[in-house]
Amino acid sequence: MANTSIAPEPTADRAPAVTADSVVREYTRGNTGVFGQKDAPTVRALDGVSMAVTRGDVVGIAGPSGSGKSTLLHLLAGLDVPTRGTVTIDGDDIASLSQRQRARLRLNNVGIVFQRFHLLDALSARANVALPLVEQGESKRDRRQRAETLLDSVDLGDRATHKPGQLSGGEQQRVAIARALATEPALLVADEPTGELDSATGDQVLDLLVDVADEQAVVLASHDQQALDVCDLVIHLQDGTIVRRE
Amino acid sequence: MFGQRVRSLVGLAVARVAGRFRIAPQRVLLAVLGVGVAVGLMVSVTGVSLGLASQSVVQSDGVDYWLVPEQASVESIAISTGGPRLGDVHRTSQQIGTDDRVDYVTPVLLELVPVRDATTGDRTYVFAVGVVPEPDQTVLDLPAGRLAPGDPYYQNGSYNGPWTGEAILNNAAATVTNASTGSQLTPVGTNRSMTVVNVSDGGVGTAGGGVPVMLVHLSELQELTGSTSGDTADQLLVSTNDPSVKSSLEGRYPETTVVTRSGLSSQRVSASNLPLAVAVAALVSAVVVGVLFVTTLMGLEVSADRQQLGALAGIGFSQRSRSLLVAAETLIISILGGIVGVGIGILGIVGVNGLGEQYFGVDTVAVFEPQLAGYALLVAVGIGLVGALYPVWLSRRGNVLEVLA
Repeated sequence: MANTSIAPEPTADRAPAVTADSVVREYTRGNTGVFGQKDAPTVRALDGVSMAVTRGDVVGIAGPSGSGKSTLLHLLAGLDVPTRGTVTIDGDDIASLSQRQRARLRLNNVGIVFQRFHLLDALSARANVALPLVEQGESKRDRRQRAETLLDSVDLGDRATHKPGQLSGGEQQRVAIARALATEPALLVADEPTGELDSATGDQVLDLLVDVADEQAVVLASHDQQALDVCDLVIHLQDGTIVRRE
Repeated sequence: MFGQRVRSLVGLAVARVAGRFRIAPQRVLLAVLGVGVAVGLMVSVTGVSLGLASQSVVQSDGVDYWLVPEQASVESIAISTGGPRLGDVHRTSQQIGTDDRVDYVTPVLLELVPVRDATTGDRTYVFAVGVVPEPDQTVLDLPAGRLAPGDPYYQNGSYNGPWTGEAILNNAAATVTNASTGSQLTPVGTNRSMTVVNVSDGGVGTAGGGVPVMLVHLSELQELTGSTSGDTADQLLVSTNDPSVKSSLEGRYPETTVVTRSGLSSQRVSASNLPLAVAVAALVSAVVVGVLFVTTLMGLEVSADRQQLGALAGIGFSQRSRSLLVAAETLIISILGGIVGVGIGILGIVGVNGLGEQYFGVDTVAVFEPQLAGYALLVAVGIGLVGALYPVWLSRRGNVLEVLA
């Protein structure tokens, strides 16, 4: 295992929102079921990656396709568990949690912004923003109030009742960011947040992400130099290992 | 908090189903229609089976209610067992008859009467039914209208009017008494005689085929059997097309029950299991067809919706919540199908009755009862619950990483 970890030191007064310690993630190729191959080949997507992100940091993950950006992002978001090594979110080792506990951890501690927004077509912008609060069991009034506050904060207060189909790409991404912030998570993870947007709209979205980083730790994976430019730290991955930090 | 979450998830399911109707309605509409047609057919066929059941009841044509003593059960309506009786029946039936909503009302006295064989003079028993006939009325499928109308022997509260001595026999009675039209029958122990004015096919219907029945005027049967004191009878038959009559019949006598001729309860008096078998077959078919529709179309819907379900998983919705969401959506679609099905079923019943009237001269082949609507919705809920199993299973198979990649 190559020791290529570059871990920013956590600031003294703030515990890291997320840490990765010597993380390895391997995938098995082909079918390994009852009728599958016994010794199916494995692919190592990440190899000994370590990092930590505290609230207030904006960390970018860069690298060519297949370098392990998405894999690392999924691990940091608690969507996946490492084959070896440890990922902790707000102090919880995600590998030690059940699927249900991990879902709960994501709900309360992680906001995810997807490249393709993944808003629910049938719901208004307000209802989309309030979705995580539904799972948290918040009352309708509280959900509505919180969603409207968040939409105001992303300058979409006047679009609260619009359906995603009635919003532009940039507006949809801002709704997605508002949704990611609904539960006031410690960590905001964004996968190619400007990938589907034009340059001007991408700028607005990035400004928004930087603004929220006062309260949250932000990790974004991107090919886009414009997106990486706003980051406090950019981690470059290649073949599953960290090769450079800027 | 859990209850709040479940309510919110159901609300989310409603919003998503409504959204589907707006955005991509084809599959959802097909699922709703599929359940609707299945439930509608079930309602129609069950209506026909109710119609079958009600037609096998011992009844006078068009009679919709029996007023019977409480101790009498629906099953004992056909045969008098010497139980409690209703009194002052001529006056009461006259009062009921003044109600415009009532087409026909008659007290009915049921007695086993020994009579002398018309040929040999041997003693034999017939089941005598005393009624107050009106022209064109049938009672127990016998043409009561062939008797002189009204009850001539009963006049002004006394039994001193003209004695008609008329009797209508069914074939079974004609056989056991060796009588035919014009024959004289003498009830044992009396000096009265009865003249057979008609022999018909009717009788006690499917519930008691083969019972020898003699239809006579009420007051004459009361006289023959000593029931004149108190003017008693076993029941009152009330013919009406207006269901509101039932409430005015209730309370007419203390400790009596008003029994509906048709309706779900009428299955209890049917000796044949055919209507029940038809209804059960309709239920099974509806459930199977409905479940197949819902399962297939909601399965497709879940497959098409994998990205959104994956996104919900990504933002922290537990597997249980996503399953509940999919199950609630399936249930909502089934219930919508059930509502559509009730409409289709009512149309089907109207259509069947129309065809029956046009081609067979039968005015009521199928019967719709309000309870059928509740039954249909219950079946739709059942379809939704069973039909949700596959979509829920399918929704649990999705890998959030595959979906989001």
